Amino acid sequence: MLLIALLLIPVATAAASYFARRRAAMEAVNLAGFGAIFLVAVALGARVLAAGTVSLANGFFYADALSALVILLTASVALICASYSIGYLRDDQQSGALGDDASGKEQLAQLRMYYTLTPLFVFSMLFMAVANNLGVMWAAMEATTLASIFLVTFYGKITSLEAAWKYAMIGGVGLSMALFGTLVAYYAGHNLTGSDALSGLNWSVLAQHSAQLDKTSMRLAFVLILMGYGTKAGLAPMHTWKPDAYSEAPIPSAALLSSALLNCALYGLIRFYILTSGCLGAEYPSRLLLLFGLLSMGVSVPFVLVQKNYRRLLAYHTIDHAGIMATALGLGGALGSLGLMLHMTFHTIAKALLFLCAGNVYQHFKTDQFSEIKGSVIRAMPLTGVVFLMAMLAIIGMPPFSLFQSEFLILRAAFDGGHALTGVLFVVFSAGVFAGALLHVGGMILGPGGDTPVAAPRPWRNGSLLALASSLVVIGFWVPAPLFELISRAARVVSGQ
Amino acid sequence: MLMMPVLDLQFGERIVTLMAALVLVLQIAMVSQRWIVLHIRIFAVQSLFLAMIAATIAWYNHAPHIYIAAVLTLIVKVILVPILFERLVTRMEIHEEIEPIVNVPLSVLIAGGLTLVGYVVAESFYRPDAPGVGHNALAVAISLFLIGFFTMINRRKALTQVLALLSLENGLFLAAISLTYGMPLIVELGIFFDVLVAAMVLGILVYRIRETFESMDVSRLRRLRG
Repeated sequence: MLLIALLLIPVATAAASYFARRRAAMEAVNLAGFGAIFLVAVALGARVLAAGTVSLANGFFYADALSALVILLTASVALICASYSIGYLRDDQQSGALGDDASGKEQLAQLRMYYTLTPLFVFSMLFMAVANNLGVMWAAMEATTLASIFLVTFYGKITSLEAAWKYAMIGGVGLSMALFGTLVAYYAGHNLTGSDALSGLNWSVLAQHSAQLDKTSMRLAFVLILMGYGTKAGLAPMHTWKPDAYSEAPIPSAALLSSALLNCALYGLIRFYILTSGCLGAEYPSRLLLLFGLLSMGVSVPFVLVQKNYRRLLAYHTIDHAGIMATALGLGGALGSLGLMLHMTFHTIAKALLFLCAGNVYQHFKTDQFSEIKGSVIRAMPLTGVVFLMAMLAIIGMPPFSLFQSEFLILRAAFDGGHALTGVLFVVFSAGVFAGALLHVGGMILGPGGDTPVAAPRPWRNGSLLALASSLVVIGFWVPAPLFELISRAARVVSGQ
Repeated sequence: MLMMPVLDLQFGERIVTLMAALVLVLQIAMVSQRWIVLHIRIFAVQSLFLAMIAATIAWYNHAPHIYIAAVLTLIVKVILVPILFERLVTRMEIHEEIEPIVNVPLSVLIAGGLTLVGYVVAESFYRPDAPGVGHNALAVAISLFLIGFFTMINRRKALTQVLALLSLENGLFLAAISLTYGMPLIVELGIFFDVLVAAMVLGILVYRIRETFESMDVSRLRRLRG
C-alpha cells in the first residue's frame, strides 16, 4: 500500500496541477502533494525499520533500508523545494523573469509546466528507488532526464537551451551505456533464472545468486554501468553538463537535481556495485570507483578556485561531492559504507540549503556573478547571508557540522583499509575546494558593503530556508535514533554484512 | 516434419545474418549521408529490418514475447518517429546539407574500423553450442552502438545527433534480442515508452534551438564555459 501511495500521489499531483486554472490552486496542490509524499516516505522508513524489507506485486516493487533512505531524502528535499518555489516563482512573476505579457496567459502556462513537471520528476526518482527490476530502474532513470529537460529550459533563454541540449545529449549517451550494462548483467544471470522469467532482472534475485553470475560479463557490465549512471551522478569526465544545467534551471529544480537526483544516480550505481562485488569480489569495482571518485574531486578543484559565478561554483561543488561519495563506495567495508550513507544524508540537506540561499541572493541582486554583487549579502539580507555562510562552512567539512563527521569516517576508512594514497589525495583535494569556496563565498557574503538596500520580506522562501537550516544544525549534533538506525542499516546493505 | 527443425534453424540463422548485415550497411550509409530527409528514411528502413530480425528470432526460438517487441519497433521507430521528424523538417524548412566534421571517405573508413572492433568484442560472448538463432547478430549490434556514437560526435546539426542517438539505441535493441532473446516484456515496454517520449522531447528542443538560433548547428551553442 505504502509503495503504491508513494507512486500514485506524485502522478495525481501532476495531473491536478495540469488541469488547475489558477496559480494559487497549483501552489496548493503541489504543497499538499509533496507533504503527503513526505509523510508516506516517513511511514515507509518506519515500516522498513520494523519489517526489514517491503515488497509488493511479486517482488516487482522492493524497498530495503537503502531504498527507504533515498526515498526519505528525495521526499524531504522535494517538500522543502515545493514550499520555496511558491515564493520564488511569485517573485519571478512580479519581476518579469517569466516574460511580461499583458494577459498573463503565457506566464500561467509556464507556471503550469513547472508545477506539472516537478511532481513527474520526483515520481521518476521515487520509482527508480522502489523498482526491483534493474531494467525498470533504468527506464525510471531515463524518465528523470526527460521530465527535467524542460525544467532546465524554463526561462527559455539562449543559454538555457544550450544547457538543456548538453544535458539531453550527454545524459542520453550515458544512459544508453547504462542500458547496455543492464543488458549485459541480465545476460550474466539469465542462465540461472530462466531466460524470460520476469524475475531474471530483479535485483533481489540477482543479489542472492551473485556468486554464480558470469564473471566476464559482470566485468563488462560494471564498467558500462559506472560510465552510465556515473554520467547522471556527474562523475568526471562525464560531468560537463552539470554546471550548465544547474546554473540555468530555476533554483528549486537545481536543488532537486543536485541533491535528490545525485542520490538516485548513486543509488543505481550502488545496486550494481553490490552485485559486482558479490560476483568478482570487492577489489575490481573498488579500483574503478576510487579512480573516478578521485578524478572527480581533482577536476572540481581548479574550477572552484577560479569560478566567477556562484551557481556554477555550487555545481562544481556537487561534482566534488559525487566524487567523495564514489570514493567512499570504492573504499567499502563497514566504515566506508557508513561514511557514504551519512555523507549522502548530510550532503542532501546542506546542498539543497545552499541552492535555496543562492536563489535568494540571485533574485535580490539579479546576477549570478560574484563581481557584480555590489555590497555584502549579509547587510542586504541578514538571514540569507548567515545561513548561506553556515551552509558553506558545513559543506566544506568544517566541524561542528555533520559533513565533517562523515568525511572523517571516509578518511578513516581509507587509512584503515591501507589506501594511504587515496587518503592523502582526498585531503589535498578537499583542502583545495575548502580554500576556493571560502574565498569566493566568504567574500560575497562578508565583503565591504556598498549601498545596502533592505531586503523585502519573503515568508515562503525564508521559512523553507529556516526549516532546512535548523535541521542542518540539529543533525550536526544529534541524529535522531530511528534515522541513524535507517542509515546504518542502509550501510549494511551496501557493505553486504 | 521431425527432420525439419535442424534445416530450419540453419535457414533462420542465415536470414538473421543477412538482415543484420543489411542493418550494418544502412548504418554506414547513414554515416555518409548528406541529406537530412534521406537520413531519416534510412533510419526508418533500418528499424524495419530490425523488426524483421526480431520477428524471425521470435519464430525460430519460439519466444512469443519478442513479437511484441517487433511490433513496438514497427510502430515507434518505423512509423511514429520518422513521421514526427519529417514533419519537423518540413516545419522548420531545412534545406541545408549535413556537414560532417570529418569528411565522408574518412568517416566511412572509421565506421569500418569500428565494425572490426565490434567483431572483436563480440568474440568473447560467442557460444557455438548455444541453441537457437541470432547469436551472430551481437557483433553487428556492438558495431551499431559504436558507429552511432561516432556519428553523434561527427555531426553538427541537432536533428542528426538525435538520429544518431536513436540508431545507437537500435544497436542496443539488437544486442538485447541476440544476447538474451530480449529483455522481460515490462522492461521492453518501458524502454519503448522512453524512446518515444525522448524523440518527442528532443524534437521540441531541436525546434526551439532552431527558432532561437535560426540554425540547428550545435557548434554555435558555446556560451556556457568554465
